Amino acid sequence: MTDETLRRETFPAGILGAGLGTVERDVPPDEPPPLPPNAELALIGKPIPRINGVAKVTGATRFTVDVSLPGMLHGRILRSPLPHARLRAIDVAAAARHPGVRAILTIARPDDPDASVVRYVGAPVAAVAAVSPNAAEEAAALIGVDYEKLPFVTDMDAAREPSAPPVYPPGAAPPGHPSGYPARPDLPVNGNVRGPATDHRGDTAQGFAAAEVVVDGEYRTQVQTHCCMEPHAIVADWRDDGLTVHMSTQFTAGVRQELAAAFGLPLGRVRVVVDGMGGGFGSKSQLGAYGRIAVVLSRQAKAPVRIALHRDEEQMDSGNRPGTWQRLRIGARRDGTLTAISLVSYGTAGVTVGAGVGNNAQALYACPNFESAQHDVFTNGGPGCAMRGPGNTPGAFALEQAIDELAERLSLDPVALRDRIDPSRARREERRIGAERIGWQRRRPPGADAGPVKRGLGMAQSIWGANVQLNAGCEVRVMRDGSVEVLSSAQDIGSGIGTVLAQTVGEVFGLRPEAITVRIGDTEFPGGGPSYGSRTTASVTPPARTAAWRVLSVLLREAGLALNANPADLVARDGRIMVRGDAARAMEFRAAAARQRTDRISAVAYRSDDYGGFKRRMGDAALAHEDLGGVQFAEVAVDTETGVIRVERVVAVQDCGRPMNPLLLESQVQGGVLMGLSYALFEERLLDPHTGWMVNPNLEQYKLAGARDAPAIDVVVLENYQGNSATDAYGIAEPSNIATARAIANAVYNATGVRMRALPMTPAAVLAALGKVPARS
Amino acid sequence: MQRPLSRRALLRGSAVMTTEIGMAKVAFAAGQEAAEQGAAAVGPDAVPITLTVNSVEHALRVEPRATLAETLRGPLGLTGTKIACNHGACSACTVWLDGLPVCGCMTLAIEVGTRGVTTIEGLAMGGALHPVQAAFIEHDAMQCGFCTPGMVMSCAALLARTPAPTEDAVKAAISGHVCRCGTYPHVVAATLAAGARKA
Amino acid sequence: MQRFAWMSARTVSQAAAAATAITAELMTRPADATPTEAAIVKAGGLDVLDLLKENLLAPARLVSLREIPGLDVIAEEAGELRIGAMATLARVAADASVGQRYPALADALRSAASPQIRNVATLGGNLLQRPRCWYFRAEAFRCLRKGGGHCFAHGGENQYHAIFDNQACAIVHPSTAATVLVALGASVTLADAGGATRRVLLEDFLVGPDQDMQRENDLRPHEILIAVHLPPASPDAGMAYLKQGQKESFDWPLADVAVVLERDPAGVCKRARVVLGAAAPVPYRAARAEAALTGRRVDETLAKEAAQAAIQGATPLSRNGYKLPLFATLVRRAVLQAEAG
Repeated sequence: MTDETLRRETFPAGILGAGLGTVERDVPPDEPPPLPPNAELALIGKPIPRINGVAKVTGATRFTVDVSLPGMLHGRILRSPLPHARLRAIDVAAAARHPGVRAILTIARPDDPDASVVRYVGAPVAAVAAVSPNAAEEAAALIGVDYEKLPFVTDMDAAREPSAPPVYPPGAAPPGHPSGYPARPDLPVNGNVRGPATDHRGDTAQGFAAAEVVVDGEYRTQVQTHCCMEPHAIVADWRDDGLTVHMSTQFTAGVRQELAAAFGLPLGRVRVVVDGMGGGFGSKSQLGAYGRIAVVLSRQAKAPVRIALHRDEEQMDSGNRPGTWQRLRIGARRDGTLTAISLVSYGTAGVTVGAGVGNNAQALYACPNFESAQHDVFTNGGPGCAMRGPGNTPGAFALEQAIDELAERLSLDPVALRDRIDPSRARREERRIGAERIGWQRRRPPGADAGPVKRGLGMAQSIWGANVQLNAGCEVRVMRDGSVEVLSSAQDIGSGIGTVLAQTVGEVFGLRPEAITVRIGDTEFPGGGPSYGSRTTASVTPPARTAAWRVLSVLLREAGLALNANPADLVARDGRIMVRGDAARAMEFRAAAARQRTDRISAVAYRSDDYGGFKRRMGDAALAHEDLGGVQFAEVAVDTETGVIRVERVVAVQDCGRPMNPLLLESQVQGGVLMGLSYALFEERLLDPHTGWMVNPNLEQYKLAGARDAPAIDVVVLENYQGNSATDAYGIAEPSNIATARAIANAVYNATGVRMRALPMTPAAVLAALGKVPARS
Repeated sequence: MQRPLSRRALLRGSAVMTTEIGMAKVAFAAGQEAAEQGAAAVGPDAVPITLTVNSVEHALRVEPRATLAETLRGPLGLTGTKIACNHGACSACTVWLDGLPVCGCMTLAIEVGTRGVTTIEGLAMGGALHPVQAAFIEHDAMQCGFCTPGMVMSCAALLARTPAPTEDAVKAAISGHVCRCGTYPHVVAATLAAGARKA
Repeated sequence: MQRFAWMSARTVSQAAAAATAITAELMTRPADATPTEAAIVKAGGLDVLDLLKENLLAPARLVSLREIPGLDVIAEEAGELRIGAMATLARVAADASVGQRYPALADALRSAASPQIRNVATLGGNLLQRPRCWYFRAEAFRCLRKGGGHCFAHGGENQYHAIFDNQACAIVHPSTAATVLVALGASVTLADAGGATRRVLLEDFLVGPDQDMQRENDLRPHEILIAVHLPPASPDAGMAYLKQGQKESFDWPLADVAVVLERDPAGVCKRARVVLGAAAPVPYRAARAEAALTGRRVDETLAKEAAQAAIQGATPLSRNGYKLPLFATLVRRAVLQAEAG
């Protein structure tokens, strides 16, 4: 950098407890001074309870499904009962005669070649808006549809066959997907297979030739559904002067842009609001078909329209984590040095794309020779979408078992092998802490227990890019009465970003978090970026601190005049502004605010580049240099007579840069571990092979981990300072989910000596792997 | 017309004869009066009922098919009770009927009768949080918060009958709840802490 | 959910008079049949509401049993325990007599469903609930049991389905209580509108597809199940109930087993009952296992022998072969636990 306006600052850098030092960074002039390590701070890094906790425990939080507007209508979507069909005719006359109906929309249309074919059970066909949910249900059932059945395929392996029924005619397959990998628009499509998206470095042929040991395995992962407890929901209110949408969304600002583009409205006439947000996990990142439908119905009916998906719609058509097949080969020398990694993957996101397996194999370990070929396979299943650690979660299942297998072949401890091949400082420290916490020295050879219940220990690692949204912003205001507001369109997906913003701003002003009014989840405020990619904290806390610091600078000038002091000598602490080292010369924060001539002091700040620059930029987003590492250890007991795996304990050691709130981070990591455990043992979307219907579109036979399935979870979060931004904080949601299933799988291997190469690891699968299921006669 | 059902009226109904089947007395045959009074069919159009919710009586009209959860959330505006699966599989809709936790989505409003309904809105008394609610905040036993009201109702009901429960008892009490955010560990910790505080 | 009228019966006779149909009759009607005038009974209502919400059932009227006095009484009766059909699972599980004399029943009921459901679901309703087969439960599939011509579980997703008596329809009986009650030799009393009652062994009351493809029991229109009777528990009986779900939290059993062993003073097994749940369209009496145990002293070796005998003759489907080793394990463990009890 040669920009002379930048100022040189010294930041804390390194991992607390493992070499905390400093780093010099060039900082833009309007950004605050370096934030000291957490130990020196009042609020940041402290376990502050959620500021909206009272609303949540009393039922006062207003979720989208709770929004009720005067004159509001209820929308219902009619969905395809067939996995592949062409519409011959659609008749809405009877529905239109229903006395409660106010608007009808046909989505699939026989006369429109682009919209005449439905490709999965649950695909939207038509929609109605009516005066009550029951009326909407009744009216939707009156819509007559004449389908011509087309051949279909739901199984990925079958869909790969050249003779398989084509999900799309030639040239009609959807292009790149905004999330997920591979996302390249220019990939070849052969039959139902799109790709490969390839990646390589070095020469893998040479690398395998130089290998002394090669492990080679095939792995399968199932389709997982998001199962947000609040269904996808929207209340669309189309007025002549603009569109207001209440939506359970992970990205208010993004939905606003989608709406403006889809309906030809200026951004200033579109407002998107979310208060309570009942879970998203990737599936509420976009407007979605149901969102567009609600807006069209509202425009047509001239009344607000609510659509809240039913649970079976959630399961069939609100996104899912694609299923995968992977073949992974790894070559190594006797000392553990990796010589080559080769990955081939096929994944299916149903009718859409984005079923790659991420970058764990590419990036987690040092290896000079790498090649990958990833393919999307179209099937007549509901569309996949991003889900907590997309790609990497299934990808790590293969990689981390392969590394475990390699360690055994090399007679190396899995932790010791990783110490040799993993360049990450953070994960080295995480392995050290985790091994100590779980009691790794207790680990015995595979299958060491003599009795039917066999115990074992396993560990696995993860990598996740440290994502940043560059156009994320925040406004901070101090009103004349001393009250403080922080405003951003960022939404609280459940991680508690509002609380973290209150801590960030309170820290600057020397006020308690309760003194900060947090207004978020509304596009009337500066765009706060999305709550996906584990980027909210990384994106919105630096501008919050920057904006607060700019406001404080103005306040300190006023206070300096009042206290007859140089503003540079003033500090804000404990609700007062005082001269550093002279507590007697002080004034109330409120008194300083009251000296303002204007009704408020306000500043809007946006996320600046990481001070040390980025690894990569992608439009409005960027990746920090250092990835977010995680290491998890699991202890399991496997009943080899019932096939039941009981996860007794998980130690999760995670990195998110500067941890902002250990209480909330612990919640999030526990959630990541439990979602990973549930993925490992229970969950699976099951499509009937003969009809394409999901047979378990509920929360009963789609099995989710409950309280009695939860192990003891020990959470450790590193303090890993990098001097990258005003807060130096990154996210943790996805990193905490990626390693769990493979840590459990490795522990199951250690317990039983049998490697589970497919998910979920049900009693049926375990008994089969143990050779206990008789062949059918 | 459906009258508000009252236990006392039932007991007074001398027209109800009982048949001895062993030791247990079961109302078996009925006189004309009881048949007309109690057993008249109502609906399917909306029927007037009285619901006692959080100690307040509400007179309203519901179709017989209306569930308690829908009725609380719609006509009564008590949206703290959540519907997530609508089939009794996730317990998000947990409310109390005479103190017993039940799924509001699998209870018809018309069958509540004289039983008192307690919802999450009625748990905090006079502005003071229930100890379970306070402990939930302290232990961060919530993330997105959608399952939280039901979870609170289950844990508060547990403490009402078992003031100092074991960890297993807490897990059993919430074993029907689904929390996709994975708050179970903090829910258990919070409830144990609230129990220890009360005991 | 379709609209329906509501009647709260005050007496069993009223309820029986009003209950013109059983659910099976309504569920086997063709989709285009004219709306029915039929009324069906609702006890706790969990199963009926589930069926209504899935549009599998559209009665004109529901007849509630909840306000009939005395239908939920649990009382001793000539050495037997009589449990009113409207007693909730939670109440039965917590009942002192049940806990002391029939601990396997208490264990089974405590493991069923969720606390919320156990507070509402009744013992009678639990016995009469329809199967959980996902093809049966989805409107899209007109299966054999709903009057169609095809069992979709054969060649479909059948991991939770039957391994015995599954050639035509592969449902498993959904009642956790029934598994234990059959092992205990329980019977049920049914009453009609005229006040007449009949008492039937539960085992005989429950019927498999060979007897009736569309019903799981012999309940007739205008009939109310009013009580369950448990025969006196022999003081030298040991019993056990074991369930294995995929999850520890709220889950249906992949397999469950109830065992009752009666021993003579010398410790020799006089009579054994071994019943497998989630194995067949009705609770499955493992006759070979019972025979293996009878007349012998129970030990590890015999338990293992009985376990192997219990799964003999099974005809697993494409995805449920794992149930064989699973049942063998549960039977062996339950036999040993009953023997120790």
